[in-house]
Amino acid sequence: MTTRENNLKDIGTEDLAQLQLEHLQSTLNRAYKNVPFYKKRFDGLGIDLSTLDVVRDLSKLPFTTRQDLADNYPYDMFAVPLRDIVRISPSAGTTAKPFVVGFTRGDLKARQRITARFLTVGGTTETDIVQICLNPGLSSWGRALKEGAEDIGASVMPMTHMSTAKQLLAMKDYRTSVLITTPSYAMHMLRVMQTIELDADRLALKAVFVVGGTIPTDWRRHLEKDLGVTLTAGYGLSDITAPAIGFECSDKSGFHISEDHFILEIVNPESGQPCSPGQEGEIVLTTLTGRAFPLVRFRTGDLASVKTGPCPCGTTFSRISEITGATGQVLTVSGIKMHPAQIEQVLQALPGPIPPRFVVRLYREDYLDRVEIWLEMTEGLFSDEVKRVEDHLKELRRRVFQMLGLEVSIKLMESATLDADHLPASRVIDER
Amino acid sequence: MLKIKNLHAYYGRIRALENVSLHVRPGEIVSLIGANGAGKTTLLNAVSGILPRKRGEIYCEESRIDRLAPEKIVAAGISQVPEGRQIFAPMTVMENLELGAYLRYKKREKESIRTDLSRVFELFPRLAERSRQIAGTLSGGEQQMLAISRALMARPKLLLLDEPSMGLAPLVVTDIMDTICRLRDDGVTVLIVEQNAHASLTISERGYVLETGRIILQGTSEDLLNDGDVKRAYLGKDYETFVEGRDGQ
Repeated sequence: MTTRENNLKDIGTEDLAQLQLEHLQSTLNRAYKNVPFYKKRFDGLGIDLSTLDVVRDLSKLPFTTRQDLADNYPYDMFAVPLRDIVRISPSAGTTAKPFVVGFTRGDLKARQRITARFLTVGGTTETDIVQICLNPGLSSWGRALKEGAEDIGASVMPMTHMSTAKQLLAMKDYRTSVLITTPSYAMHMLRVMQTIELDADRLALKAVFVVGGTIPTDWRRHLEKDLGVTLTAGYGLSDITAPAIGFECSDKSGFHISEDHFILEIVNPESGQPCSPGQEGEIVLTTLTGRAFPLVRFRTGDLASVKTGPCPCGTTFSRISEITGATGQVLTVSGIKMHPAQIEQVLQALPGPIPPRFVVRLYREDYLDRVEIWLEMTEGLFSDEVKRVEDHLKELRRRVFQMLGLEVSIKLMESATLDADHLPASRVIDER
Repeated sequence: MLKIKNLHAYYGRIRALENVSLHVRPGEIVSLIGANGAGKTTLLNAVSGILPRKRGEIYCEESRIDRLAPEKIVAAGISQVPEGRQIFAPMTVMENLELGAYLRYKKREKESIRTDLSRVFELFPRLAERSRQIAGTLSGGEQQMLAISRALMARPKLLLLDEPSMGLAPLVVTDIMDTICRLRDDGVTVLIVEQNAHASLTISERGYVLETGRIILQGTSEDLLNDGDVKRAYLGKDYETFVEGRDGQ
């Protein structure tokens, strides 16, 4: 990583405006030239890209959604030939159809720089030992964070499948100084430390980085105090790009967006009109440096607002608030984005003429996000043999895990229970 | 040093440049690469004021220059070395150099002109040896050196180089590129337009790729040299492996 990128104060507002304009114009030229989806859409709306004179004009262009990505499955959103792609990253998406994100060598390098910046700002140096604890659904992020930490020159222990107790044991024995995980798993680790009577004094931890979820203030206080660490949160999209598009600075109030790689907009989720600073809306991102997978006005589904006024840390990149919610029915579970329609799709594989009805219940157990599916006991599912029913459920759990990388539990319910009036129409009960 | 925003340029009704934005920081060498007819020379001509039909903003060190006459732009510190050298063939090397300092003669800067002459001769000892020779009798490489020297006589802060490698033997190209690096080390900022993408990217910090009048890519020279599209289109690589791959099937 160059010192220039590292030292964020060097990027002046005027420089940044020129940089964004240049990259935006070339990104749009490339997207138009190489991705039929964008060409068709811009032509259809009579958009002349050569009239785009300021970054603000971006608001004249149409949005791109997760549905668009799924519609162009697998490779139709790619802007480079496949032989330039060095990494293919599948994503379950949030519709019935998955999508695929591709990276060129240069894209991976850029992502590495973005991730390294997040880790550097939070205090990671080449002398650190970094341990990454993320669940399989976030494996793409796990790789990005590993590469970012390696770029700094730290010693990295990538994500591995180990029990929490074993992770903690490794943390103690390896003298891990930096932990990267999700907010809920960090809290869970704290709880397990009590169970196995592992004292924080015996750990060498100095910094914790959390991604994939909002961290409540009391959790942050707990972790910082009980573990004796500084905590830095990052914001990203688990299914599309880097885990730290947004990063916390020393001020720890909201995320600076890496505006040298992305253009940030906040829009009203219903009207699509730009929100004024301070007003909550949907985060919309446009890539500036992406070669393989240019995204023009991508609707993230995450809600936040832009913070006004300069940041005490001196960084000129715009700052957004904590993520305050999500649009539509996209759920975030342990950092993984999912949609009830995906569960529905899995259920269609069950025997019987009509797929059973279901409700998704989200709750926390020992700070960890848990998913429980309440499944209607239908005739197709019913059998005299308990084992056959159990096999069905096992198969279902396996399929959900394959699709989303999430462990779920399934409870069979009588039809009457699912008819109950108090159940929300969205078929989602979020108790978190 | 140089900042261009939304530059459009026309030849008659034909649009040669479409919404081009780029910048060159002080002390940088920046390459503009692209195929024949992509608009590279048009861009340089627009910056130096030779091309009148244009729209957009051009700044040199924060002051706007897009409406200035060419000689005012030279005075602002921008000199262009045109494609194909375009030296004054019937005149001597010395006369060519003196013409490069034309604006400064009017200001009676004779003393400093003499200093610059000796600096140029230091940079290109060959020209010193041939200062009385008729310029048209110089070799291609020497003519290119003369063209660069002539531009330097205006004491530019920013040098615009149009295809400096054109028609030169590979060894001479290396020589010219080395000289450009030395100029940068002396504090001259350089915007270089080249079809020989490899030669110019190797000596520059950053680059832009121009295609049919539009910028389609930019980045550090290292990133561009490793970019699949750039390799295929401008570095002449990949084609061989492509064909071999097909044979292998």
